[in-house]
Amino acid sequence: MSSSEFLSHFLFTLISFALLLTLVGAVKRMLLWSQGQSSTIHWLGLLQIPRRYLVDLHHVVARDKYMSNTHVATAGGFVLSSILIILLYVFQLTLQILTWALLGSSLLMFIGSIFVMLRRRNPPPNLSLGKWQRLPKSLMVFSLSFFILTLPATGILPSDTGGWLLALLLVAGIIWGIGEMFCGMTWGGPMKHAFAGALHLGLHRRQERFGGQSTGLKAIDLSSKKLGVEKPIDFKWNQLLSFDACVECGRCENNCPAFAAGQPLNPKKLIQDMVIGMAGGDDAKFAGSPYPGIKVGTHKGGAIIPIVNVLVESETLWSCTTCRACVDACPMMIEHVDAIVDMRRFETMEKGQTPGKGSEILENLSATDNPNGFAPSTRMNWAADQNLTVFGHNEKKQQVTQADVLLWVGDAAFDMRNQRTLRAMIKLLRAAKVDFAVLGDAECDSGDLARRLGDEATFQRLANSNISTMNKYSFNTIVTADPHAFHCIKNEYGEFGGNYNVMHHTGFFAELVSQQKIKLDNSKELALTYHDPCYLGRYNGEYDAPRFLLESMGVKIKEMERSKSTARCCGGGGGAPVTDIPGKQRIPDMRMADVIETKAEIVAVACPGCSAMLEGVVEPRPEVKDIAELMLDALIEDTGEDMVGAQV
Amino acid sequence: MAQFDALFQPLKINQLTIRNRVVSTAHAEVYATEGGMTTERYVKYYEEKAKGGVGLSICGGSSVVSIDSPQDWWKSVNLSTDRIIPHFQNLADAVHKHGGKIMIQITHMGRRSRWDGGNWSTLVSPSGIREPVHRATCKTIEVEEMQRIVGDYAKAAGRAKAGGLDGIELSAVHQHLIDQFWSPRVNQRDDEYGGSFENRMRFGMEVLHAIREEVGRDFAVGLRICGDEFHPDGLNHDDMKQVAAYYDATGLLDFFSVIGSGCDTHNTLANVIPNMSYPPEPFLHLAAGIKEVVNVPVMHAQNIKDPNQAQRILEAGYVDFVGMTRAHIADPHLIAKIKLNQIDQIKQCVGANYCIDRQYQGLDVLCIQNAATSRESTMPHIIEKTEGKVRKVVIVGGGPAGMEAARVCAERGHDVTLIEKNPELGGQITIASKAPQRDQIAGITRWFALELDRLGIDLRLNTAADEVMIRDLNADVVILAVGGQPFLAQNPHWGQEEGLVVSTWDILSGKVAPGKNVLVYDTICEFSGLSAADFLAQNGSLVEMVTDDIKPGAAVGGTTFPTYYRSLYEKDVIMSSDLILEKVYREGDKLVAVLENEYTGQQEERVVDQVVIENGVRPDEEIYLQLKSDSRNKGQIDIEALYAALPQPILSEEGEGYILYRIGDCVSQRNTHAAIYDALRLCKDF
Repeated sequence: MSSSEFLSHFLFTLISFALLLTLVGAVKRMLLWSQGQSSTIHWLGLLQIPRRYLVDLHHVVARDKYMSNTHVATAGGFVLSSILIILLYVFQLTLQILTWALLGSSLLMFIGSIFVMLRRRNPPPNLSLGKWQRLPKSLMVFSLSFFILTLPATGILPSDTGGWLLALLLVAGIIWGIGEMFCGMTWGGPMKHAFAGALHLGLHRRQERFGGQSTGLKAIDLSSKKLGVEKPIDFKWNQLLSFDACVECGRCENNCPAFAAGQPLNPKKLIQDMVIGMAGGDDAKFAGSPYPGIKVGTHKGGAIIPIVNVLVESETLWSCTTCRACVDACPMMIEHVDAIVDMRRFETMEKGQTPGKGSEILENLSATDNPNGFAPSTRMNWAADQNLTVFGHNEKKQQVTQADVLLWVGDAAFDMRNQRTLRAMIKLLRAAKVDFAVLGDAECDSGDLARRLGDEATFQRLANSNISTMNKYSFNTIVTADPHAFHCIKNEYGEFGGNYNVMHHTGFFAELVSQQKIKLDNSKELALTYHDPCYLGRYNGEYDAPRFLLESMGVKIKEMERSKSTARCCGGGGGAPVTDIPGKQRIPDMRMADVIETKAEIVAVACPGCSAMLEGVVEPRPEVKDIAELMLDALIEDTGEDMVGAQV
Repeated sequence: MAQFDALFQPLKINQLTIRNRVVSTAHAEVYATEGGMTTERYVKYYEEKAKGGVGLSICGGSSVVSIDSPQDWWKSVNLSTDRIIPHFQNLADAVHKHGGKIMIQITHMGRRSRWDGGNWSTLVSPSGIREPVHRATCKTIEVEEMQRIVGDYAKAAGRAKAGGLDGIELSAVHQHLIDQFWSPRVNQRDDEYGGSFENRMRFGMEVLHAIREEVGRDFAVGLRICGDEFHPDGLNHDDMKQVAAYYDATGLLDFFSVIGSGCDTHNTLANVIPNMSYPPEPFLHLAAGIKEVVNVPVMHAQNIKDPNQAQRILEAGYVDFVGMTRAHIADPHLIAKIKLNQIDQIKQCVGANYCIDRQYQGLDVLCIQNAATSRESTMPHIIEKTEGKVRKVVIVGGGPAGMEAARVCAERGHDVTLIEKNPELGGQITIASKAPQRDQIAGITRWFALELDRLGIDLRLNTAADEVMIRDLNADVVILAVGGQPFLAQNPHWGQEEGLVVSTWDILSGKVAPGKNVLVYDTICEFSGLSAADFLAQNGSLVEMVTDDIKPGAAVGGTTFPTYYRSLYEKDVIMSSDLILEKVYREGDKLVAVLENEYTGQQEERVVDQVVIENGVRPDEEIYLQLKSDSRNKGQIDIEALYAALPQPILSEEGEGYILYRIGDCVSQRNTHAAIYDALRLCKDF
């Protein structure tokens, strides 16, 4: 038997065995996922895998051009090579074209793997080391082995080239390569991401996010035995699957404001901890950046072991601002925020362990329908001199039951800073002759804060209360300056029967400006940058309307490096200012540093939370102004008609 | 509770919702008018407060309801004729436009007025007892007159309502006719309007019922009362509680406004508008006492100037509304600045009482530190950035004129350098603030210093400017505001050259230590002489205060000289008038001051250790004269443009070199207001 004959027979056995082993691993892995709670299985999604891979996933990967090209070559080469290897060596199809194709695909993969290797010479801190440092070598060994193996078959080299020595070397290389690339996929190697990732793309819990948007938190049944996630098995099965998809690229870590601020959260580590929880073990082998301030190797977990304070410290969960920067950056479409809120729900509703001022805020919401415990009857105090039309049935008080616009006031009503924005909005609405009314004292907090703090019960109560109030009246559009209320009403009230046309004030005003109903002085030469609110931008994809408005005033925006979908959170979301987990620096200070870098004198905001957080940065610093306030400064008023209501 | 929440709780007065708890209470403005009809100036003054966010303004302190209550002394509003109604409509519209509310105080002043003018009315009072502050003799009022006046009240209230005002406040304070009936001190009648409590209350009750009949129940009607007359023979706090409860029990009143102290003597008058010598809210307890016995909102104004103080008072529930009246004269945008988180930018009233002291002289109410107040037609409260060229402005002298010039120019967006030779800003304000009970005057400087810091000007302290330095700065505009020096050289016999006399500045600034036995000679009779005497006495000197004027401090206003007098008399300061200081000479280790009686020519001598002279300020003209000839305008201000509040014509002319102006005491001694006004009106158009 010549060395080439040996190789051919041996490879059949080896690859078949490897495939079998891979299958066994796959079943074991699936059993791990199946420990999770039931969730709709979207079988049809499996058919969408190639499209989701090539479009949705690639769209994210492509934000890093180097890595995108590298991955196309490596992964493309690998997928193609694998198919050809199976056809050539398992099914023994000896078509010459397949041989040539394998030569090409393995070469492509090899070239890709060189770039993987180059990147890992001085890996940036967001990349995990450990087994991930092995991967480029495995990729090269795999591709090179098959490339060399294929050379004689194409006739480029004579058969039996290299003799037994090379044959043995190739055997060793192929065992290594296939072990990593095939078996590793299902036995916990770095290639797990390909296997779990592909399935995750198909069976994703949020099918609607492909080709669309799905950012609202999912409701839970308040009558269920356990509220929220205590142990890994309390996650839905497809959430467990999603954790396995993590490729440890650390893009989430790069974008996480809490991590950057030195708070004990690293989204990548969190997902890896979830994997540890699901499969059992400890975090000693985690080779990426730790949670700031918490040593790696000190935590362990298991599928039926409570997560918090065993596997993950509660501070980690409560550091999250729910800004979705991690989710947005994740090429594997993992939903970190869902997982965090799921665990917070258990902490809050089952254990009553909301930290910091969290429990006080939740009590306030229960007692007064607003987070800071103001008397509900004082909700309209700010507007005592505004002569607002209020929805209601008391005609003596000039209440109305219908209006074109329902102006959602939000908790800015209680905050002197953000009352300025409200007053500006009112003046603008009046200038545009918009028929609008407010809910007055009947408006409750949208429930955003309660929900992100894990108090789903309070959220649902507030949502239902608001929905039943709003359903008494007829209106076409809800307009609000608060992106959090905007998001809740638009994306989260639907599950409770509240379906409305909701607009953020920037979107609404942008329409009025383009229709010439609001005329703005377009010669404002302001050194200005714009800060995208997370709940307007990443949550709802609105990046253009605020910029359109600013440009309508003649402003040339000095964009920050982190803007639009990569905008850095102000630190104000998800109840983070309330739970107040200490870090090395404050998120709003970092954001203000981003602003200062642009040399802007004004930072335009479009969210009451952002204005509060950024104005909380010590002076001297650029001025913080809501877009409505800037618009009011630029408003060209029709003369001769007096506006009613005070400006300050 | 957030920092200022208590201020921003709306509260209803009858059918009105007042947007916050801050009120500008009634005061005489002294710019109503011809014949008591409100003018554009009047409307704009109140509009500015409404624009600035105040909840409620009660205008027209002591606005008269009857033709025999003279109004032209203080140009108060005249509600005795229907002619006033359209004027009210303008006023109401201007305030309502900004979400504010406006009421007017109406009254018949009875004996508290002057008869020697206008209609030459015979003043009326329950028992014809003369009022000392106005030297007002009066007749004993007859029942027929009372009936007429009750009717006048009702008609006046009807006019306020017809004019669209939001309500009226009846004045039964300051010893007006209603409370003249109340007070046994001046009501010695033995008919049904005197004697028993009910009888003394009767006239006021008739007024109230008549008004209600006229305006109905839904129109806001309040009553301003004092909390204690502070006269042994007058109404004390318990009496006033009884009065308040009695009127409240009618259910016809919608609010009470409470003032501490009566005011028919000079000494009690000073309590009513407490100057800077008083502690914060000195009479709050009296208002709180009234609040205990009534069922409608109570407001109180007296030395409430600071938002934190207002919050504290409201949060503790002493009263329902705080009057921040002088606070709004100093800064009509006080509420707006709270809301805009610009607390540090609030120009806080310092209690100099320039406003009220002018009013008592029948002059228009102005603010010592805010020259835009009541000049809203011509002077801006908010200085807009220039749209013209940015100029380099060099200002020399950091007193009130220089600080205001620097502020206004910086707000206009110019490149401002302010040079001050002393280590701190303030000029003469700094010296004035050294006297006992006068420290708060430094609040004027404090505000300017904060503003100039915020505006980021080039401030050069400890720098004595000279001609060369100024020329080297290559300014487009040079403003000299260098003040002057005490004018001790006027009479060579005073012996300034020999070092026999020192100035009040020397004493107050601490440059010269107080002597043991001191003669203060004050020919000016403003604050500085009294302050120096008080300072010396405070530091243990035996002081005689001598003036050639009719009395020491003759030019100090009616709410301020009493607090000086209290302090000086208490420290055994001797006060001598009508004596001219002729000469000072040394005799051994003592000084002899030769004084001559102006009216007899008789001379007398005083043997003392120290002679302190206040003879005003001699302008410092040196730098001006050096720079004048090369300047584009030869140092001249176009006063036609200045007085018309128009830009200086030279600003729009092309030219090389610098324009030179001088303002404040370096031109001629006037006062803080004059210095600030000149700076504002000159610089607002740069």
